[in-house]
Amino acid sequence: MASTQSLEDTKSMGRLPSAKTSLAAITGVMMLVDLYLIFMVAPTDAVLGHVQRVFYFHVPIAIMSFLAFFVVFLGSLMYLIKRTPKWDAIAHASAEVGVVFVTLALITGIIWARPVWNTWWTWEPRLTTTLILWLIYVAYLMVRSYAPTESKGAIYAAVMGIIGFVDVPIVYYSVVWWRSIHPSPVVGPFAQSDALDGTMALILLYSFITFVFFFAYMVAERMALRNTEEALGRIRFVLRRGER
Amino acid sequence: MLDLILLDTHLPSSNLPYLFAAFAVSWVVLFGYLFYVNRRQHEMRKEIARLQNVVEQNQEEE
Repeated sequence: MASTQSLEDTKSMGRLPSAKTSLAAITGVMMLVDLYLIFMVAPTDAVLGHVQRVFYFHVPIAIMSFLAFFVVFLGSLMYLIKRTPKWDAIAHASAEVGVVFVTLALITGIIWARPVWNTWWTWEPRLTTTLILWLIYVAYLMVRSYAPTESKGAIYAAVMGIIGFVDVPIVYYSVVWWRSIHPSPVVGPFAQSDALDGTMALILLYSFITFVFFFAYMVAERMALRNTEEALGRIRFVLRRGER
Repeated sequence: MLDLILLDTHLPSSNLPYLFAAFAVSWVVLFGYLFYVNRRQHEMRKEIARLQNVVEQNQEEE
């Protein structure tokens, strides 16, 4: 009975759910429009020049990493309370996507810093706390991989996902608590109302919405992969049991 | 002459390689990750199909 169920479960794996396809299509179109707005509509910054356009990618990517780690925090908390695999799957997928986003936030920041600050890297608070954030969630993924069993890995990772989230508000407030060369926040409670020109603010808002869709699509893809991994695990279990 | 050279390095157009690099890296990382996830998904589905055949053959033999 169990083997029949496992086989039935795996038969649906080859079909791409229509919701995910629609999400991919919407994200693709939104991203094309976003690129048009960034390169053709957004005004060129009088001081920083064209490199300022990196900001329309860098800021939403950084905020998406915060969103991803917030989802990890929620998923981890719910997993520890309810012990439902669904919450662990959400936290795991979101952590991996969050690491991709925070890696990109660091790289795009480094590339922007070279012409503006005349250095690739400086140990100022925002950069340092973001690097720590990256290390925390890379460690989260390593804990999952190297744990003795999958269930123990899920529990250890859930604890890390909750504690690690402490660094997210530190990253955000770092430019307020310690004045440094990093620009002040342009979104959130500490953003200055006149920090951005109207067109720039609208394009930044559009970029945020686009990246929310991109984030949702990436998490959906990663969760689908995990479902396939679990289906493969089940079918291997059935085969091993049959050999005994 | 020196002033002119310094002024030239601060023209907005002189930042274009950095702009190109930032967007190129972003696309490579984002699509590289999606490609990696899709490729693994594809490999696993193939493995599942292969194992399903093995299980069905075993069931027929029984």
